[in-house]
Amino acid sequence: MMKIKRKLLQNCGPAIRLAAISLILCGLVFPLVITGFAQLIFPSQANGSLVQFHGKAVGSSLIAQNFSLPIFFHPRNDSASGVDPDITVQDAYSQIPRISAATNISVDTLQQIVNKNEEGTFWIFGTPYVNVLKLNLALIQTGDLAYNGFPASSGL
Amino acid sequence: MGWKEYFLAAVIVNIFQMTIAFVIFSFQGVLPLNPQGFPGLSWDLAFMQVISFATNTNLQHYNGEGNCVQLPNCSNLTGVPGAPGLSYLSQMMAVQFLQFTSAATGISVAIAMIRGFIAHAKDLGNFYVDFTRSLTRILLPLCFVASLVFVGLGVPQTLTGYERIVSTVEGATQTILVGPVASLVSIMQLGTNGGGYYGANSAYPFQNPNPASDIFQIFLMLLIPTSLCFVFGQLIGKKRESRPILWGAYALFALDLLIAFIPSFPVVGPGMEVRFGGFFSVFWTVVTTTVTTGSVNASLSGVNPLVILSAFNGMLIQATPGGEGVGLMYMVMFIVLTVFIVGLMSGRTPEYLGLKITARDVKLVMIAFLVHPVIVLIPTVLAYSTGAASAIGVGTNSIGFTKILYEFTSAAANNGSDFLGASANTPFFNVSTAIVMFLGRFAPIALLLALGGSMINRKRLITDVGVRTDSFLFSIVIVGSILVLVLLTFFPFLALGPIREFFQGHANGF
Repeated sequence: MMKIKRKLLQNCGPAIRLAAISLILCGLVFPLVITGFAQLIFPSQANGSLVQFHGKAVGSSLIAQNFSLPIFFHPRNDSASGVDPDITVQDAYSQIPRISAATNISVDTLQQIVNKNEEGTFWIFGTPYVNVLKLNLALIQTGDLAYNGFPASSGL
Repeated sequence: MGWKEYFLAAVIVNIFQMTIAFVIFSFQGVLPLNPQGFPGLSWDLAFMQVISFATNTNLQHYNGEGNCVQLPNCSNLTGVPGAPGLSYLSQMMAVQFLQFTSAATGISVAIAMIRGFIAHAKDLGNFYVDFTRSLTRILLPLCFVASLVFVGLGVPQTLTGYERIVSTVEGATQTILVGPVASLVSIMQLGTNGGGYYGANSAYPFQNPNPASDIFQIFLMLLIPTSLCFVFGQLIGKKRESRPILWGAYALFALDLLIAFIPSFPVVGPGMEVRFGGFFSVFWTVVTTTVTTGSVNASLSGVNPLVILSAFNGMLIQATPGGEGVGLMYMVMFIVLTVFIVGLMSGRTPEYLGLKITARDVKLVMIAFLVHPVIVLIPTVLAYSTGAASAIGVGTNSIGFTKILYEFTSAAANNGSDFLGASANTPFFNVSTAIVMFLGRFAPIALLLALGGSMINRKRLITDVGVRTDSFLFSIVIVGSILVLVLLTFFPFLALGPIREFFQGHANGF
């Protein structure tokens, strides 16, 4: 028992030093160095993959934003993260009649827009999907009158 | 160092590291790098969280990104209302810090145990040296590369606050929640930790933006536990002895995959992210439990009960190939147990690597094996008998029982995936899971270090009197014996949980 107690005291010094050094190295130096390199090499991704439209950030391509008007594609709201930025291609197709009815864009053009933005075919395992924000920005770029005034301003 | 001093050094270093992290969690409100102004964590939550991270478990009873109440212009956050959030300082100097150190501790103790089995070994090595080398030669360099890959794929890495408030296309305001995410994601996967930056873990797009990042995270999870199977053979100088460890682990992994995919080839269901689809959501859930990482890329409530059963298998065996370092230790434990059982059946002297297995060895591995059922099953029963389960709205039906059993299985296996999340931020669950995580980590490590330590200077048998352990046949035997041991222990409880749930027809698309 005495031996263990002696060993315990002997080990306290090195243990405190190691704990302190590992704190500085892993908890501070490492994330700061990574932040430096990230900001230098991949500034856009490192800051949240913000999407610029006419010189203004309208959201992040990785985070879903709310779309509720009939002229836009809508994101799903039952996913694990709650901010799933994508919908399946089938989901997008099912929304085409609604959008076509609310705008002057033909079903054919809408299908082309969806197909052009399709991503994520991973051999037999992936489900083809589309990014909702990218789709909707493509809709605005069609110049259809229904999109006059969009992106709207929140007064920021 | 002998095994006692090695273990002592590991525990003391870990306790100092936990103390530092506890102080940071508790006082994050007044410490720097807190642009969101999050208050400090309550004592029981801070206590539970430091044990959770230091034991490589990463059960999280908080939401890293906080919740709407605490943020301006916030309309896009899920999670439990009132769940505490973490400052950048806490994410870096408490969470990432302990994720590094717990992984390094795991590698160190595993290597120390193996040293006992090396012929002519004098001691188990020096913990301080092993720990430092694990950090500086394995974890930090690999994480450096991995972090930058993640940033390139879209994971944020910044310290400049939540000021990214944008005006959305329809004219609402949205707060984009960024932070030092990539540096955390790399170690949480490579170190088989599993604790995410965000409450939704790797389902949150910033933590796992696309299929490429998903596959890369799966690769990182498997990398070190799989490599250590080879390290075992290298270190003891008999490469063929890696076979039962590697083959056994991957045969059981394959079995888990089979169980998980039986319900039909999965499609994107509620609770899954579209970019991963059904296949990668289910595949991830199996991998994350076979290496006891515990990160998730889909909501567990969204998957079939058989997938959950498969997840239970991974966490109950803990060696398929298991967590950083400790997975290897568990596999050696199962091998010693199996050699003993086979020895009894065939009437041969139980012997492993030329070392005679004594009664004391068998006692050590039996106790190490029994720690797991004791710390899983007793708290599960307590959660119901004390009313703690019903207090957070979890019922006694098969779904509710699965959730509670999963919580403690995950805590005991140092996995960290869970159903309850921040809803389990109550004194009962914080304190009980903290105790379970601590015992689940350090009791088996102590017992298996003692096993390794007792092999030093043991006389080696010159003739092969025992069962050959490097054969294909023995790999089959080890798989069978693991399944029998684990199933006999846990089957009644699994039958009340996921198995009953499956037969009651709660299955999705079945």
